[in-house]
Amino acid sequence: MKSLLGVILAGLMAWPLMALAEKQPTGMQEDVQNLKKQVLELNRDLFLLEEELLFPSNTQVSVFLSMDVGTFFQLDSVTVKLDGKEVANYLYTPREIDALIRGGVQRIHIGNIKNGEHELVAFFTGKGPHGRDYRRGSTTTFKKGLGPKYVELQIVDATNNQQPEFSVKEW
Amino acid sequence: MFRHILMLLFAGLYATGSLAGADKPQRVQDLQYGEVLFHFYQDDYFTAISHLLAAQAQSQLPHHQDEAELLLGGLQLSYGMLDEAEARFEKLLGPDTSLDLRNRAWFYLTKISYQHGLYENAAKAFKRVELSKHNKAMQAELAVLGANIYMAMGKDAAATEILDRTRAPEGWMEYLQINKGIAQLRAGDIKGGQATLDKLGREDVSDEELLALRDRANLALGYQLLREGDAEQARKYLNRVRLRGPFMQEALLGAGWADAERGDYEAALTPWLRLNKLGSKQPAALEVRLAVPYSFAQLGDRDRAIYFYEQAIEYYDTEQADIDQAIQAARSGALLELLAQADTHESGGWLHDAPALNDIPSGRYLVDVLSQHAFQENLKDYRDLGFLQALLERRLANIDLLHDMVDTRRLAYESRSPAIRKQLEQGQAQALQTRWKALDEKLARQQHSKDPLGLATGKEQQQLATLDKVDQTLRHLPDDHRWKSALQDKARWLRGILYWQIQADYPARLWEVRKQLQRLQQPVENLVAAHHAIERGLETVPDSFNGYDQRIEALRTRIQSLLPAIQEARHNAGQQIFRLAMKELGARRERLVSYRAQARYALARSYDQLAGQTGVEDSP
Repeated sequence: MKSLLGVILAGLMAWPLMALAEKQPTGMQEDVQNLKKQVLELNRDLFLLEEELLFPSNTQVSVFLSMDVGTFFQLDSVTVKLDGKEVANYLYTPREIDALIRGGVQRIHIGNIKNGEHELVAFFTGKGPHGRDYRRGSTTTFKKGLGPKYVELQIVDATNNQQPEFSVKEW
Repeated sequence: MFRHILMLLFAGLYATGSLAGADKPQRVQDLQYGEVLFHFYQDDYFTAISHLLAAQAQSQLPHHQDEAELLLGGLQLSYGMLDEAEARFEKLLGPDTSLDLRNRAWFYLTKISYQHGLYENAAKAFKRVELSKHNKAMQAELAVLGANIYMAMGKDAAATEILDRTRAPEGWMEYLQINKGIAQLRAGDIKGGQATLDKLGREDVSDEELLALRDRANLALGYQLLREGDAEQARKYLNRVRLRGPFMQEALLGAGWADAERGDYEAALTPWLRLNKLGSKQPAALEVRLAVPYSFAQLGDRDRAIYFYEQAIEYYDTEQADIDQAIQAARSGALLELLAQADTHESGGWLHDAPALNDIPSGRYLVDVLSQHAFQENLKDYRDLGFLQALLERRLANIDLLHDMVDTRRLAYESRSPAIRKQLEQGQAQALQTRWKALDEKLARQQHSKDPLGLATGKEQQQLATLDKVDQTLRHLPDDHRWKSALQDKARWLRGILYWQIQADYPARLWEVRKQLQRLQQPVENLVAAHHAIERGLETVPDSFNGYDQRIEALRTRIQSLLPAIQEARHNAGQQIFRLAMKELGARRERLVSYRAQARYALARSYDQLAGQTGVEDSP
């Protein structure tokens, strides 16, 4: 029995430290990589064409959402109204919240509007300081001219009053 | 068996490695860059790459150009596009790239060479990385990567040195320590390795990931000490492995070996019988079936030895039959059925929720085999190809909708364009421009003549006309009229005042008129330009509709040509998985056959010894 143990133990240090996954044949790897590249390029072209057709730049409006540290506010959901009409109502997963806190920006709405003045209202719900239910609204009026219009809803921690702040930035 | 244990010990040690440099909160200057990060931080690499490519094509990332290239390379690396990522990082090594970006590019190139198994290249690239002292997380990741490269090259001492000189931030220290301990053991520094792993193994932690890491350290050290012949110390470390942790079975087996090594077979039976009772199908549990009767035989308890050998043979027979069934099931398509469960149609992970094959006999063997680390790369490709196939099929099914969108626009054009043409024909914009030009010329004449009356207001002109009338009336009065002279004087005086006022205001009036005309110039020109643009648009729009139709058809052709290639690649990936699974099942079967043969041989000898009452010590 000791010999069996010896044989097994001898294998201990012979085994490569980082046991890598079973290597695929090189040709197959290249094929898969090449296919991924082609599909990604194709998807990009389809994406661009769809955007051109559905949201031409002269009428396009996009609403983005960003968030900084999130100490004073834990976001649950956001509702966006454009000229009185609800265009987005989004419930966030913890994974999405994490992505926002790390610097990600979510495009919460893309649509079409006419040139001129428009009113945007956003409602944020979640947990505020001390875990209390929190609901705040933010209203802004922006002007749509030629070219696509980008509006960013920002949730920022205001350290001076230990409260979240909700603001709108036009790009 | 020990191979399995080591795989558990080292697989995933590097898995927490993030896309270095991109994991700290960022302040984005281009919204589209932030959108890419949003998908990237959720590990949705396909969407992130698609958005990044689209944003680059639309020049929407002016403030993040280099970072976007680095991020794209990192995303491609994460999405298994190693060659593309490598080419992108190499491009970033030019003289125009900042030192920080160059270093990060070298970092990724190190990682890619390592993943390709090109360790010499990886070591060369590793030496080129000069990270900022402040970026501790990336330094720690680099150190682990460097250590793994040198250990793969057999340069364990160099690996230890790298890990030794690296300071790790929170969350990385344990990974650095376990790698360092292993490197020390491999380099022959038993005492050093023991000290490192011992310290890690005694860490007071509550986080499950760190607890598992602590178990790994204790298990690695325990097995290493067994190899060194220090069974007593080995037992100490194996005892520290949690009985509710992921390494419990290996620890129980090792603990029994440690007791057996010291000749204490009675003590060895405690962990071994416990493991035996679990009824697990893991390799450690297979081996313990032999170890238990061996211990009883060593203790002279022939009856129990025979009982457990017979039980082991029966168990191995059942398992062998199960494996045969699994092989048969795999050959008849069960494996493909299992793989079909990989089609979640999302570009995220798989096998987090174990797929089920409840209706397939011995399905658990197939699930177990596919869950092994060796299959992950193949499974990932199989799954990615499934996602791409589903995506393209969906795109193909919807491509006519794009034509519908173009047709809707075409209809709108045809219904609205006559009215627009009619309005354009009225030439309102050109008329406005002509009027503006006339006013401009008039102003130029005014400036040349410098006649203040040219800028008299309507009221002033009226007043002047009134004075003219007064003059005319006065001229008709007889010269001897008592008021004529006085009235003429008064009229002259009023005209003088009016002239004086107009003259005094002239520069301001001239400036105001010039300003008004200049203000109007741009809007009028814009209006004319818009007019021309609409005219041109009306002419070119029908062509653009045709252009869209051609683009859509070109995209349809691309989808149609790619789909069969993806299906074939997926089929090949499935076949490769099938071959590997067959190989693995075959190896497991061989192992069972070998265990069974050993059990039968030992059983026969036990019967012989029992029959002959020889009393000689047994040995399998």
